[in-house]
Amino acid sequence: MAAADWTTAPSAGLGVAFLRVPAIGIAMVLVLCPILLVVYQSFLSDPFFTPSAQFTLDAYRFVLEDPDFWRALWTTLALAAGMTVIAVCIGTVLAFIMVRTDVPGRSFLEILLLVPIFTSAVVLAFGYVVAAGPVGIVSTWVKDVIGVVPWDIYSLPSLIVIAGLTHVPHVYLYTAAGLRGIGSDVEEAARIAGASPFRVALAVSLPMVRPSIAFASVLVFFLGFELFGLPLVLGDPAQRLVLTTYLYKLTNILGTPSYQLMAAVVVVIILIAAPLVALQRRLLRDAGRYVSMRGKGVRIEPLRLGASRWLALGVILLWALVTVVVPIGGILLRSFVVSWGEGVHLLDVLTLQHYRELLDYPNIVRGILNTLGVGVIGGAAAVACYTALALAVHRWQSKWVRVVDYLALAPRAMPGIVAGLAILWIFLFVKPLTPLRQTMFSVWLAYAVVWLAYGMRLVQGTLLQIGPELEEAARTTGASDLRVKRDVTLPLVRNGMLAAWLLIFLIFVREYSTGVYLLGPGTEVIGSLLVSLWGTGAVDLVSALSVVNVALIGLGLAVALRLGIRLHA
Amino acid sequence: MTIRSHLYRIAFLVPMGFALAGSLAIGAAARADVPAGYPADYQKIIDAAKQEGKVVVYSTTDAAQVSPVVKAFEAKYPGVTVEYNDLNSTELYNRFIAEVAAGAGTGDVLWSSAMDLQVKLVADGNALTYASAEKASLPKWADWRDQAYGTTAEPLAIVYNKRLVPAADVPKSHADLLKLLQTKPQDYTGKITAYDPERSGVGFLQLTQDVAAWPQAWDLFRAFGKTQIKLYTSVGAMLERVGSGEHLIAYDIFGSYAIAREKKDPSIGWVLPNDYTLVTSRVAFISAKAKAPNAAKLFLDFLLSKDGQTILANQADLHAVRDDVEGVATAKGTAALVGDKARPVAIDESLLNNLKPIERLAFLKKWKAAMQGQ
Repeated sequence: MAAADWTTAPSAGLGVAFLRVPAIGIAMVLVLCPILLVVYQSFLSDPFFTPSAQFTLDAYRFVLEDPDFWRALWTTLALAAGMTVIAVCIGTVLAFIMVRTDVPGRSFLEILLLVPIFTSAVVLAFGYVVAAGPVGIVSTWVKDVIGVVPWDIYSLPSLIVIAGLTHVPHVYLYTAAGLRGIGSDVEEAARIAGASPFRVALAVSLPMVRPSIAFASVLVFFLGFELFGLPLVLGDPAQRLVLTTYLYKLTNILGTPSYQLMAAVVVVIILIAAPLVALQRRLLRDAGRYVSMRGKGVRIEPLRLGASRWLALGVILLWALVTVVVPIGGILLRSFVVSWGEGVHLLDVLTLQHYRELLDYPNIVRGILNTLGVGVIGGAAAVACYTALALAVHRWQSKWVRVVDYLALAPRAMPGIVAGLAILWIFLFVKPLTPLRQTMFSVWLAYAVVWLAYGMRLVQGTLLQIGPELEEAARTTGASDLRVKRDVTLPLVRNGMLAAWLLIFLIFVREYSTGVYLLGPGTEVIGSLLVSLWGTGAVDLVSALSVVNVALIGLGLAVALRLGIRLHA
Repeated sequence: MTIRSHLYRIAFLVPMGFALAGSLAIGAAARADVPAGYPADYQKIIDAAKQEGKVVVYSTTDAAQVSPVVKAFEAKYPGVTVEYNDLNSTELYNRFIAEVAAGAGTGDVLWSSAMDLQVKLVADGNALTYASAEKASLPKWADWRDQAYGTTAEPLAIVYNKRLVPAADVPKSHADLLKLLQTKPQDYTGKITAYDPERSGVGFLQLTQDVAAWPQAWDLFRAFGKTQIKLYTSVGAMLERVGSGEHLIAYDIFGSYAIAREKKDPSIGWVLPNDYTLVTSRVAFISAKAKAPNAAKLFLDFLLSKDGQTILANQADLHAVRDDVEGVATAKGTAALVGDKARPVAIDESLLNNLKPIERLAFLKKWKAAMQGQ
C-alpha cells in the first residue's frame, strides 16, 4: 500500500487535476439531475410541473402501507439474491473454462455465451413460454414420455433460475476481462503441485480476479432490481409482482399516472442500493492483493485439460441448451407457425408468412441501422467517457472516490419506466438541453448515464490489476501524470475497454425504456419496434423480428471477433 | 418575318402557353382539393395547412396498421406531411402533459384508445374547439363538445379457442358465460382470461362499463374469481395463450384484434355477446397549443371522412364509426351481428369518475373481494 501512496504524492501535477475535475464534475451532474428530480417528485402531491403541487408525505404513506409493495419487495430481494448466486457460480466457472483452458470451439462458444444479453427480455421470456410453458413444445414431449410436466414455468424458483442463467453472460464478461490479464505462472505452479484444473480455478485463478467478481455480483444484483420483461411475462399468470411490475401497476392503478408514488418506490430502491455499494467497497479494501500486471513480463498459456476438455465443453453446452437453445428455439418456432399449443400438429402449421409481413413493415431497415449506430458508435463514445472517469478516480486517495462510487450506480437504481420519464423531464425543463431533445444525441446521453456504473466498473476491474511499479517506472523517467496515464495505464486497460465496449454495445442494442420518450419517427430502434408490435398483439411478427435481430447481432459479433477485435492481449 | 422573329415568338409564346395551362391545372387542382360537401371556406384551411407543412400526430394506433390512412391523407393533400408518433396510452399522456407544461413542441393531433385519459385531457382544457366538417355524418355520441371525437366504434368480443371449446359451450352472451362458469367450473378453472383492472386502464374502463350496463356483472366477476381467472395487461399475451390452449376463453377483447387474429390463426374464434355489446372508441382531439392547427383539422376531418373511414375499416382492421361505411369491421357490420344491443361508451364527463382515486380504489377493493369469490 505504501507503493500506492507514493504515486499520489502531493507533487502529482496539475495535469491530472485538469482531467479529474471536469470528468468527475460532468459525470456527477449528469447522474444527479435525474435522481434529485425523482427524489423531489416523491415529496409532492402532483406532478412537479403542475402549479397545485404541494409538499406531502402521502406518497410514502401509500406505498409503505400497501401490502403489494412489501410482497413485491421480498420477491425482488429473493429474485435478485438467487439469480446473483446462480449467475456468479456458473459465470465464473465458464469464464475460467473459456479464457484459461484449451476447451475446443472457443470462438463459436463466445458468441453463444453472449446471446442472452442482446435478446429482449420479453421476447426471451415468451420463448420460454412457447417452449416450456404449460402447453409448450418441450413440455408436451416430456408429458408424452413421463406423463407429467415436472416444472412450472410460472413459479418463483423457475423465474430465479431463468433470471440467473440469462445473467451468466454479464458475470462472464467481467470475470473474463480480469482473467485475461493474469500470467500463467501461478496456475502452472499449482498444477505442478498436483491440483486438478477445477481446484486451480477455485483456489488460484478466480480469487485473483476477486475485484471483477465482486463488481459483477453487485451489478447483477442491481440488474435483478431492474428486471422487468421476465417477471412481467412469467409472473403475470401467478400474479407475482416484483418492484418493477409493481411500479407498472402504480402507473395505472389511480387512472392517471401517479409520479409521486413511483418516485417513492425508486427512493426506497436507492436506499437499499447504498449498503450494497458499501459492501462492495469493503470487499475490495485490500486492492493490492489483486495486482497481477507487474513490471515483469507474463506469459499466458492455456491450461491443458486433457480428457476433461469434453467435460468442460459439455458444461458450457448444457448452459447454452437451457439458456439459449430452449427460448430462442421457442421464438424461432413461433416465427414459423400460425398456431401452436395443445392439439396443434406443428408440421401442419408451418409458414413463411410472418417474415413476409415483416418485410412490409415500415421502417424496419431504418430501425435496425439506428440500433446498430447507437450500439457501435454510441457504445464506443460511451466507453471513452467511462474510461476517462475510471482513470480520473484511479489511485486517487480522496473521500470523493467514495461519493463517485455510490453515485455511479444511482441512475441504474431507477427502473426503466421511471428512468425514461426522468430523462424526458430533464430534457424538457432544463432549457439549455431542449434543442437536443429530438436527436439521437439525447438518446445516447440517456443510455450512457444510466449504464455508467456498468461500463466504468469493467474498466476499473482491469485497472485494479495494474501494479503501481509500472507507473512509477514511467514517473521515474520523467513522465508527467497525464503522460503516465496516457502511455502506460491506458494501453494496459485495453482489455477492460474492449470488454466494456462489447457489453455496452449489446446493452444499447437491446435498450428501449430509457429513451422511450425521446424516440420519434426517424429515430426508432429495434426495441421500440418490438414494443410497438407487442402492443398490437402481433406476437408472430415480434418473434420474426427477434429472430432477425438475434441473427444480425450474432453475425456482426462473429465478424467483429474474427476480424481481430480480440478481447485478449 | 425572319427566322429570328419566329424563334422569338416561339420562345415567348410557348412558355406562356405552359404557364397558362399550368395555372389552370393548379387552379383546377386547388379547387379539387376541397372535398365534396365541405364548406367553401375550407379552402382557407387547406392553404394554411400547406403553409404549416406538417402535422404531428401522437397516437396509440400502430404505425404499420395506420400507414394506408397516412399515405392516403398525404396523397390527398400534397404539401402536408404527417409525422406519426406511435406511443402507448400512458406514454402519450405523460409526454403530452409534460410538453405542454414546459411549453415545448407537442402533438397537434392526439389520438388514443384510452378514452378516460383523453376525456381528462380535454376536460383540463387542452383541446381546440373545432366543429369538424364531417360532424353531420357521425353518430351523436361520437362528438363531445366539438372537442373530442370518437373515430372508431370497436365492439368488445368474447374470444375462444375453436379446437378445444365444444360448440355447445361457446357463450353467446354475458349471461351464457356466467351460466357456463357456474355449471362447468371444473372445465374452465384457470382457463379464463381478461385485462387486469388494477394494472390496465383499458381493463378498468371495460369492467366499470360492464357494471353500468348489466345488473349481474358482479355475479360474473365473482364467477371469474371462483374459476381463478388469469389477468394480463397485454392483448398479445392473452390471445397467444388462448390460441395455444393454455387458456380457453378471453373476455372483453377488442373486436379489431379478434378479427385480425382470426385471419391468421385458425384456432381463434370470437363472438359478440347478444345481450349487450360494449363499443369503445379511439378518441381524437386537436391540441389547443397546436403548432399546426389547420393541418390538424385536415387530418381529423380525413380520419372522420368516408374515404378515411373506409381505409380504416378495410385496410387497417379498425372498426369504422360512420354508418355509411361497408365492411365487416364497421358500425354496420356490428349492427348486423348484434342489432341494437350495441352500447357505445359515452365520451363525456362520466368517464372522469374512473379517474377519481377514491371511486377507483373502492371499485378495485370490491373487485379484489370478487376475485376471492366474495
